[in-house]
Amino acid sequence: MDEAPGLSDQYRTASPWPVFVALGIPISELGLLFGLFPLAVGGLLLFCGSIAGMLKESGYVESTIRSLVVLSAILFAFGGALAFTEINLVTRGYATIAAAALLLVGGVAFELFVWDNKQAI
Amino acid sequence: MEVNGQLALTVLMGVFLITVAAWLARIEDWRSYTPLAGGGAVGGTKEQYVSEEKPSGLIRWLTTVDHKDIGMLYGVYSLIAFAVGGLMVVAMRIELADPSMTLLSNTFYNSLLTSHGITMLFLFGTPIIAAFSNYFIPLLIGADDMAFPRINAIAFWLLPPGALLIWAGFFPIPDIIPAQTAWTMYTPLSAGVGSGNQMNAGVDLMLLGLHLTGVSATMGAINFIATIFTERNEKVTWANLDIFSWTILTQSGLILFAFPLLGSAILMLLLDRNFGTAFFSVDGGAILWQHLFWFFGHPEVYILVLPPMGIVSLVLPRFAGRRLFGFKFVVYSTLAIGVLSFGVWAHHMFATGIDPRLRASFMAVSLAIAIPSAVKTFNWITTMWNGNIRLTTPMLFCIGFVSNFIIGGVTGVFLASIPIDLILHDTYYVVGHFHYIVMGAIAFAGFAGLYYWFPIYTGRMYQTTLGKWHFWLSMIGTNLTFFVMVLLGYGGMPRRYATYLPQFATMHQLATVGALILLVGQMIFVWNFVQSWLEGPKVEDGDPWDLGEDNLTTAEWTWFERKLQTAVTDGGEEEEAELATDGGETVTDADDE
Repeated sequence: MDEAPGLSDQYRTASPWPVFVALGIPISELGLLFGLFPLAVGGLLLFCGSIAGMLKESGYVESTIRSLVVLSAILFAFGGALAFTEINLVTRGYATIAAAALLLVGGVAFELFVWDNKQAI
Repeated sequence: MEVNGQLALTVLMGVFLITVAAWLARIEDWRSYTPLAGGGAVGGTKEQYVSEEKPSGLIRWLTTVDHKDIGMLYGVYSLIAFAVGGLMVVAMRIELADPSMTLLSNTFYNSLLTSHGITMLFLFGTPIIAAFSNYFIPLLIGADDMAFPRINAIAFWLLPPGALLIWAGFFPIPDIIPAQTAWTMYTPLSAGVGSGNQMNAGVDLMLLGLHLTGVSATMGAINFIATIFTERNEKVTWANLDIFSWTILTQSGLILFAFPLLGSAILMLLLDRNFGTAFFSVDGGAILWQHLFWFFGHPEVYILVLPPMGIVSLVLPRFAGRRLFGFKFVVYSTLAIGVLSFGVWAHHMFATGIDPRLRASFMAVSLAIAIPSAVKTFNWITTMWNGNIRLTTPMLFCIGFVSNFIIGGVTGVFLASIPIDLILHDTYYVVGHFHYIVMGAIAFAGFAGLYYWFPIYTGRMYQTTLGKWHFWLSMIGTNLTFFVMVLLGYGGMPRRYATYLPQFATMHQLATVGALILLVGQMIFVWNFVQSWLEGPKVEDGDPWDLGEDNLTTAEWTWFERKLQTAVTDGGEEEEAELATDGGETVTDADDE
């Protein structure tokens, strides 16, 4: 390694997350645009879950649950705005809120039941 | 029925997510073991072992965040898109061999026309540049990798879904038809207004796909800016930064300002189409779209042409046996083009009836942008002047680039003039002009790069005779097809039509012959590319172009030489390779395929 450490002087040359982040975006976009509830929920879960996984993997955050909580709060706010304001896109709003809730539940479950015995970065 | 559909979708989505989760769990396991290769011999920390680990097979390509692998993925992707876009236009040109509607229906012609443009610009043009920049920028500036390797991977993986969405209308999906809006997507047609069929979801899918490619390009641009600013080796200063990195840096700046605007405009259009907003349907909406679109669209032209200019500026001097003439001024002209490119957009709108004073100012800037472009051209010519020219295939493509760029550029200068534009607007002259640039220049520079660096990324040499056939067929095909289009435009042939008056038949047939010559040339290219990659003679010299003789070696060839030296020591691999590859390069990079 060179002496001048850059923004990424320590990283792996393989990561499973990017491909799922990239898949999550179009799936959730399709779901939200056409009002397809399952696609919207699944896509948002995939997108936010992968973001959280990637943040943990790259060492930008310490714990998975915190990033999941933040992401879920953003989704709650966005979903709430869609469903309960003048925008009035109820299905899409509820889909986003459902994704937010599932993320939160998933985060808590992960925190409670999964022990991180993997090699730390 | 409705409920069943939702249920099926839910189950599918659930199964998909569980599969993803299960796969991720396995991957995490795979990554947690420590690789076998020797203990602490390099004195590195434990993390570095993990960081040099690469899975094998398909999983490697799905999970890679290595800039070289991602560069290869971009390359393969863009060449596939080039083939798709090329075959689309071959079908269109064959249809145009005859004045009436014969082979394709008019609506299908419109669909192909739309997809050909979007495919070539967004799925071939931008990604082929990203292929070169991903692979070579970190090598040229002495960085370990891109600043944000994962974002780099995300940027690439957004493209395949983007392509599928853009082409979705062509797939046998019930009730979905391809978009017929042309690549400029002018409202009100693209807003689905009126009695046409453009309210179809196929247009929405195309817009979503385009949005994804825009997000991808923006992420890539941020990454390149961060990389070039922060990851340079100590020895690489702003004063000796290579020309290709300069053009990529400028291009990334343009992307940063242009693509988010396209994304916003597309979202507004989607909202208009699906949620009843009225951005583009009120008075002035149509002109608003044109302003927003071309504020992106014209810088997009320079986004596409600056890095190919960088490739030519890098490759051409190597085969002229001299350094690039007026290096500083080539850099300044790049920056000047970058700035000016945001001040010319309304020259696409001279015929819309905008304020004449506005038109005049846009005409002035459009004419002014010819100056830095000409500075570059003269510098390339002067570099070759009295040089020791070697007509290798990459050099031929570079010279072809300069030649075609001059014709494409000069025809553009005429278009920048309002009175001439009012005559030639929306004719084949415009089509001829910009194809001289996108095919004659941008694609030619792409080929120059593909041939020039072929030994680096394949470890083998291509077949030179086939390379020259490829060049000459491309050169003749390009000039025949597109020069005829310039003449067709003078004759008053409007662009975009599937049928035409019989008086244009001869010219159109000539253009079709030119397109078929191009097709043959590209088939030779594919054959040469694939066969040489699999069976070509292995390159054992780290300097296959003899750049060292003229003292013109650049960093990527030095890297390649080092890699070859470490790879040759098969057998005693571990220690020597470990020692020599301190810097994040593994010996298995290209040789394990």
